[in-house]
Amino acid sequence: MTRVTHVVIGGGLNGLVAAALLARAGKSVCLLEQSPTLGGMAAPGPDGSARMAHLLYNLSPRVARDLGFAGGRWPLSMTELPSVSLSPEGAHVVVRGARATLADGTPHAQAAAFATLHGRLTRWGALLRHLAEAAPPGGLDGGALSMQGLRQMIRLGRVGLGLRGMGKPEMRAFLQALLSNAHDLILDELVDGPLAGLLAADAVRGAAAGPRSPGTVFSLIYRMGHGGAASVPKGGMGALIDAVAGVARAAGARVETGAKVARILVEGDRVTGVETETGETIGAKAVLVSPGAQVACALAGHRHFDIEATNRLRGIRARGTAAKINLTLDGTPEIPGLPADLLGARLVLAPSTEAVELAFNPSKYRRMSDAPVIEAVMPGLTDDGQPKAHLSAIVQYAPHDLEGGWSDAARDRLLKITLDRLAQVAPGLPARVTAAEVITPDRIAGETGVPGGHWHHAEMALDQLLALRPANGIGRYALGPKGLFLCGASAHPGGDLMGLAGLNAARAALEAAS
Amino acid sequence: MALSSSYDAIIVGAGHNGLTAGAYLARAGRKVLIVEKNDWIGGAAVSRSLHPGWTYSNCSYVCSLLRREIVRDLDLPAHGLQVIPYEGGATFTKDGDYFAYYSDHDALRREMARHSPRDADAYARYSQAVLRQCRFIRPFLLRDAPDPASLRPRDLGEMAYLVRKAHGLGRKELGETMRFWTMSIGDFLDQHFENDLIKAHLAGSGIIGTGLGVYSPGTAYVLLHHYMGDIDGGIGAWGFARGGMGAISAAMGRAFEAAGGTILTGAGLDRFLVRDGRVTGVALEDGREFRAPVVASNMDVKRTFLTHLDASDLPEDFRRAVGRFKIRGSSAKLNIALDRMPEFPAAPPHASFLRGDMHVSTSLWELERAYDDWKAGRWSDAPYIDMLIPSQIDPTMAPVGGHMMTVFVQYAPYDLEADGVRSGANWTDEKRAALADKVIGRIEIACPDIRDRIRHVEVRTPLDIEREVGLTEGNIFQGELTFDQLFFNRPVPGWSQYDSPVKGLYLCGSSAHPGGGVMGAPGANAARAILRDTGGSGRMKGYAA
Repeated sequence: MTRVTHVVIGGGLNGLVAAALLARAGKSVCLLEQSPTLGGMAAPGPDGSARMAHLLYNLSPRVARDLGFAGGRWPLSMTELPSVSLSPEGAHVVVRGARATLADGTPHAQAAAFATLHGRLTRWGALLRHLAEAAPPGGLDGGALSMQGLRQMIRLGRVGLGLRGMGKPEMRAFLQALLSNAHDLILDELVDGPLAGLLAADAVRGAAAGPRSPGTVFSLIYRMGHGGAASVPKGGMGALIDAVAGVARAAGARVETGAKVARILVEGDRVTGVETETGETIGAKAVLVSPGAQVACALAGHRHFDIEATNRLRGIRARGTAAKINLTLDGTPEIPGLPADLLGARLVLAPSTEAVELAFNPSKYRRMSDAPVIEAVMPGLTDDGQPKAHLSAIVQYAPHDLEGGWSDAARDRLLKITLDRLAQVAPGLPARVTAAEVITPDRIAGETGVPGGHWHHAEMALDQLLALRPANGIGRYALGPKGLFLCGASAHPGGDLMGLAGLNAARAALEAAS
Repeated sequence: MALSSSYDAIIVGAGHNGLTAGAYLARAGRKVLIVEKNDWIGGAAVSRSLHPGWTYSNCSYVCSLLRREIVRDLDLPAHGLQVIPYEGGATFTKDGDYFAYYSDHDALRREMARHSPRDADAYARYSQAVLRQCRFIRPFLLRDAPDPASLRPRDLGEMAYLVRKAHGLGRKELGETMRFWTMSIGDFLDQHFENDLIKAHLAGSGIIGTGLGVYSPGTAYVLLHHYMGDIDGGIGAWGFARGGMGAISAAMGRAFEAAGGTILTGAGLDRFLVRDGRVTGVALEDGREFRAPVVASNMDVKRTFLTHLDASDLPEDFRRAVGRFKIRGSSAKLNIALDRMPEFPAAPPHASFLRGDMHVSTSLWELERAYDDWKAGRWSDAPYIDMLIPSQIDPTMAPVGGHMMTVFVQYAPYDLEADGVRSGANWTDEKRAALADKVIGRIEIACPDIRDRIRHVEVRTPLDIEREVGLTEGNIFQGELTFDQLFFNRPVPGWSQYDSPVKGLYLCGSSAHPGGGVMGAPGANAARAILRDTGGSGRMKGYAA
């Protein structure tokens, strides 16, 4: 039997970050990834293309620093992409940072209002980042005067000071918007159209919510934690995953792929290790689980969780609504009205806030959208390291629990709907498709083990955020028997390839060990 | 009573909150005038005789939220108010079954078990959870909502109170409270129950009056808003005011007049008089003017500040914030005179739940679809209805043998055919008749003979409610009860304590904390704020003393 101090289940970004940080802290770590490739939702395809997640916008510099990268910076060459909100009428909107123009270079009629709103969201995002970079507030086990308690107080104090520093009117606006819905926030400032639609789509990406759902402003603000600009790393997501895996290995962690865990071993009230499907037993003092609390509970056995906890785990909402469609093309498609140099931008098809809400409606009743919201990118146009003629699209809404299930026919229908939708702005595109891969939430769940195939592992709704993420009582990484932790996106602060859930979980595990 | 030209305080609008505020001020010795545009008082708590022999509670129709502190302070029973609790309710289905809600615990358990034994077990846990939330929130209703951006002692004190109450819950319970406040009624019910019909029955209270669906986050709180009342100490109990909801306003009016106050009806407001940033009185539509250093508006925040006040009298950012306050009409009302009690073939004869609130629904998804229709600017194809026949308990509402039926309808948009311009102008007589037909068709599922029983119907679209009562868009709460518009955010951040940028001008209606429903809390809280700000001998008798 192998013996380590920490086992990490799941080799996505957060799992790798947790493993690397634990190893750097001198722990003996073994990371087990069930699929043949590391990366989880950020795992690259065989040709280096973006298979699921395709953009970075919230990668945390704090994680880079703690991983010990030179200069405290991610060793990645990032290309920041402008965003283009495509309009079926042809008046595409280009957004670079806070600046909105039309695709022909003329200023957007609401550029000033957008800049103000963008500035606000970005400032607020920076504030929320303080909360994201540590375990959620609450639960002072050691009392307010412990080191942990003091650190928490200092952090909250910093948020409080940040709030105060905004001035009264801004602070009030923040406290109101935080609980509001994206639809109202956006349309209070902008006329509904592609520019408003872009923000609405960003507020609900991956969510089982429409822009009218209260709480969607919070996710929009979260997204803006680092300004909101999307980037493609040179070499694709694989470069990011390799970099972190490299740190983990260099620090002595054993990183294994194709290693599926069958059971988490528990003796008494304490975790003692894991057993893989091949029968190998790895002894450990702590086990960190990336795919989610439900998975952790199933692997460890329900009998090690009290009934209250089991009940809460069952109540976690993780109903994936985003599908990923990867298209191989025989050449670069044309988008009438869009200059060729903008084809490599982040292309969003969300003609209005209302359109996003309408796309959301059918998903509530377990049907796919007739006119889906799409975020598409052709990373090969900006990164030589990725295949040239590859279009990567996140398509919403395609609910995990589709009525009748996700058959091949249903997947074909989703592909057809998506191509029809794309053809509204790029009429020649469908004819250029030589191969298509449709990764619906059921497949995401199957491949990554994430409950519901949810883009963020668990719904980012207000009742599942901060200390309530993923559920009340298990919001601080530890759950169930001693030594069991969550380290994935279903834990605070959630998804979006930040790496912070892994970092916070590693700290929690280290604190528990000391 | 002879009118004078100046008063200590003038209240615009004789709704139940205006009357409450007026009564508290008058009892504190202030000389108070209430002006009301209609020829009757009550606002949306009225009893109207629109068909000879029948009395309609034609806006609000049942009573529970009215704060008992106010009933006691104003001695409303002595002024004629009698509230008679009703028991239970039912949701009927298309296939001839029903789910009945009984206030008798054992009967309810048996009925739940008939639909789902598991849900019968879950109910105790569910009702405990809701009751705990009710207990937590009730003390806040008659307190000021603190401004978190302010360092005034009063705000810090109220914040400290909030923190202390929250801390007292314990960590686990605090988490549950935060979840409850931010989740949807649909998700909350899904976590407790499995039976569609039981969930559909319980969900209604989470959406009544709102522009939200059963799966919109925040609707669990709206449920609370309908559960946190009490009758005779029975938390969550509902009842009829004998003589209709107007009896509440009438009793308040008498309490007000007994304390020396004056009510002037048929006196629509033209504008608030303002000089040098301070209110000096009101000018009426008929040209009369009355002076007072304090004016409290029972109208909603939009009407108060955007319709009856010069733009130049308000700071631009305040005006903008008021403009953005969301008041969306989402409900309609049918008031029906019946020649006798209609048949409910599914129900056992003389079932007690026929005297309660009755609905026709099948599932949460049907309710969610009803919301989607509203979002698109249509009335719901399968609307949620909340119908009661109060004349079974209160014989004063209809002639002998006859009955009065009140039907609350959701969703019905104010702005039919959303064309980008918000207006109620699309509500034509044909549309109104078509909506009524849709609703009556829905009632027919529960009582097939309803059309033969009808002697008269009053149909009230959001536009009608706006026109008669003066509620913007016909929104029954004077503003959405979403968390960005509750507590310190109500009506706008920084102005949650009834005063306004115009010195001496106050809000005393449901646009202010803690919001809508026939509760009286905004009126009482506004009176307290006025007495505090104007000092002198005005100590508030009762709870706030």
